Amino acid sequence: MNKIAGVLIIILALVIGILPQFTDCQSQGKELTLTTGKTVPMKCHWTAIAEIGMAVPLIAQGIMLFLSKRKETRLALSVTNIILGIFVVLFPTWLIGVCANNMMLCNNLMKPTLILCGALVIVIGLITFIMAYRKVESVA
Amino acid sequence: MNFTRLALRSITGNSFRSWVVVLCAMLVAGLALATSLILRGAENSLRLTIDRLGADIIVVPQGAETKVESALLMSTPASIWMPDNVVGEIASVPGVAVVSPQLYLSSLENASCCSVSSMFLVAYDPATDFTIEPWLEKKIGSRLSLGEAVGGMHVFVPLGEENIKIYGYLISLKANLEPTGTGLDQTMFFTFETARDIARLSPTLAVKPLEIPLNSISAALVRVTPGVDPHEVALEIFRKVSGVTPLESPNLFLSYRKQMTGLLHSNLIVLGITWGLSLVLIGLVFSMAANERRRELGVLRALGATRDFVLRSLLMEAGILALIGGGVGVVLTTFVVILFRTRIIQSLSLPFIFPSILSLLVQVVAGLALALLSVALAALVPAYRISYQDPANAMRE
Repeated sequence: MNKIAGVLIIILALVIGILPQFTDCQSQGKELTLTTGKTVPMKCHWTAIAEIGMAVPLIAQGIMLFLSKRKETRLALSVTNIILGIFVVLFPTWLIGVCANNMMLCNNLMKPTLILCGALVIVIGLITFIMAYRKVESVA
Repeated sequence: MNFTRLALRSITGNSFRSWVVVLCAMLVAGLALATSLILRGAENSLRLTIDRLGADIIVVPQGAETKVESALLMSTPASIWMPDNVVGEIASVPGVAVVSPQLYLSSLENASCCSVSSMFLVAYDPATDFTIEPWLEKKIGSRLSLGEAVGGMHVFVPLGEENIKIYGYLISLKANLEPTGTGLDQTMFFTFETARDIARLSPTLAVKPLEIPLNSISAALVRVTPGVDPHEVALEIFRKVSGVTPLESPNLFLSYRKQMTGLLHSNLIVLGITWGLSLVLIGLVFSMAANERRRELGVLRALGATRDFVLRSLLMEAGILALIGGGVGVVLTTFVVILFRTRIIQSLSLPFIFPSILSLLVQVVAGLALALLSVALAALVPAYRISYQDPANAMRE
């Protein structure tokens, strides 16, 4: 089960890291035009960059979960997975956000995908936590 | 040991078999719920939009029918114009009680002078309007003044700001309309006076000026006199006023209704194929399991377990797996449909509104029931065969 969870975390981390790079407004050739004529990236672009920062540790977590044999290690990995999953959800919804128009790709594809992936990381983290916790208890 | 415990032991004993059945149940329940949610959501949305418009007939420029439908349903900005003297001509048609003109505009795309990119904007005439004004009187007790607007459900003031910028013009959002699941949720409504003020100031405030052709309107909403057949009035408008097309509200969004019927048929075919394949797969898995456990069940029978006990334990096993798979399927489907609803609207070019909690519960229960029925049906034959086998033969083989 832990091996499956490890592989799932790696797959989700890849989606979290890669998908936003192709669904933010910058990748669609859209930039914000200021009245001065200068163009700047929209905020969904910064969310996409921040998610790379979440995906890299998640991949490492997934690999460690796949290889770990000790229950205590799995317990610790599960807790950090849950925390990372929460931040994956928070970046597009609260900490940075995406563009306001819900007809934009960043709003109707990037944001829900990140929420879904983040939620799945949290659920997997909870399941591996409960399983590791039970085993630690029964050993004690 | 009761048959529930026996079923649970069997489930944990062969995880591969259990996973296959759970996945099949998940697929059947999830697909059935998704089909029902999307199609019912689209139908409810169309009905709500027609109610919201509140007009018996919408008169649009000839050839612009699809553009208007797309603008109202999908919030696709439309630039359509007809001379404003048609309002007088329509008003003179017998049976017409009120005619109210509207202007269809759009905010600029990706420009810092507009808070929201490519938003559909509707300007109405407060003197004749019968759709927004009565609602405003009820909701906020006053009419819209210059620089004020009401928005659909998804129109909001950007974080940290006090107004919405349209062509550099600051608009105060007074209230939000109830959701319809259509483009109206992303539409902003203001008066003709505000629209003309935005157009006047936009050359200095915006990246590009807002242009409203002189003496032009985009559409006219018509309410007929009570007791008069709207179809007759529409025909009369078509005959007397040139260059326009009257759209009766029951016939509105006909192309979308046809699309929905097509989608329903293809979804039912996919659902039917998935259901049939799942049934065969679950049947095979249970046949294999019954063969594998032939000796075990034979011993159980020899120890005094009745045929009914064995049959019930096998069906209980199928039921538990169906409920787990179906449960995960409906929860995941509901979550995905909620999260991706705008994407679904865009991809299928259909409006969508999420059903009420009660309606959602009914659909969830129906999805679960379908999963349970499918798994029970597929497991019934192998379970019946193994439970009615002679224990001595079963143990010897």
